[in-house]
Amino acid sequence: MADYDVTFIERDDTEARFLVRGVTPAFANGIRRAMIADVPTFSIDTVRFIENSSVMFDEQLALRLGLIPLTTPLGGEFDEDDTVTLALDVEGPETAYSGDLVSSDDMVQPAEEDVPIIDLKDGQRLELEADAVLGYGQDHAKHQGGVAVGYRHLQRVEVVGDRDEFRDDEPEIVRGVIETEGGELVPTEEFDNDLTERYPDSEVEVHDVENAFVFDVETDGSFDVDTLVQAGIDSIRGRAEELKEAVQL
Amino acid sequence: MDLRVIEKEDNALSIEIAGEDHTFMNVLKGALLETDGVAAATYDMNPEQSGGQTDPVLTIKTEDGTDALDALEAGTDRVIEKTDALTEAYESAA
Repeated sequence: MADYDVTFIERDDTEARFLVRGVTPAFANGIRRAMIADVPTFSIDTVRFIENSSVMFDEQLALRLGLIPLTTPLGGEFDEDDTVTLALDVEGPETAYSGDLVSSDDMVQPAEEDVPIIDLKDGQRLELEADAVLGYGQDHAKHQGGVAVGYRHLQRVEVVGDRDEFRDDEPEIVRGVIETEGGELVPTEEFDNDLTERYPDSEVEVHDVENAFVFDVETDGSFDVDTLVQAGIDSIRGRAEELKEAVQL
Repeated sequence: MDLRVIEKEDNALSIEIAGEDHTFMNVLKGALLETDGVAAATYDMNPEQSGGQTDPVLTIKTEDGTDALDALEAGTDRVIEKTDALTEAYESAA
């Protein structure tokens, strides 16, 4: 029955673009939503300030700390609401960066070393202890592992004739990924999103390809793209299994 | 996952699925509509005059000869199959 075909167009650790054929809009959207809201990540939730003589209030710094992505292993090492403690001690004149955070757990570290927290002037000091919890994007955006997750229809471009010689010189803007008549997949950035750049002398028609979606997935560094996609799919699967069991009783 | 059956006949089922949202319900509804013997399937996230109820209520109608509860089980199986197929396709491309 379900016969899917996945093709990667771009692939990186934290960013990928891939085409899935044969997927229904409902399923595609479920996967997208699951990747955003139902894949847990660690994020700082409680902060104990020992000294804060910086120019910002404790609360403001706590918000900034919460937004720092932390690496999150999803192999079952941690449960929901598990806590990892991180400490920070920086004295001015210096800028406190996310990389200055010292974690109590090797697996949970700041995903980026160079997120500035605050610029400390001479004589200012920041010392704190923070508890990071495993939470869901559903509850707070700081727990979102997928920061830019979306999809678009694959668009098929067909040449239907020659371009009118005296036609107005207007761009034909498309975005996403197109499929040419030869079956080649081309990201539209390659021709400045303008079909008249790629087909200067032809009249073309653009159609959405049914059940073919190009996913754009970007993570905040908590885990790589493969982990996020897999966790999104597993989240849907887990709920289907849970419902199945509940129905059988 | 708490279930509460609201209405149950041979060919019709109305059931509240606590704690779920559009993410799963729409996938399930889509899978049910592709399942043999299912005549209609829909869900409502905030049933009218529900007194603030926001847990989704799934409603299934089936053709003669198919029990609605069996259809729901077949629907969940279909979702599981889909996720497995997508995992496989993703891994073979990766």
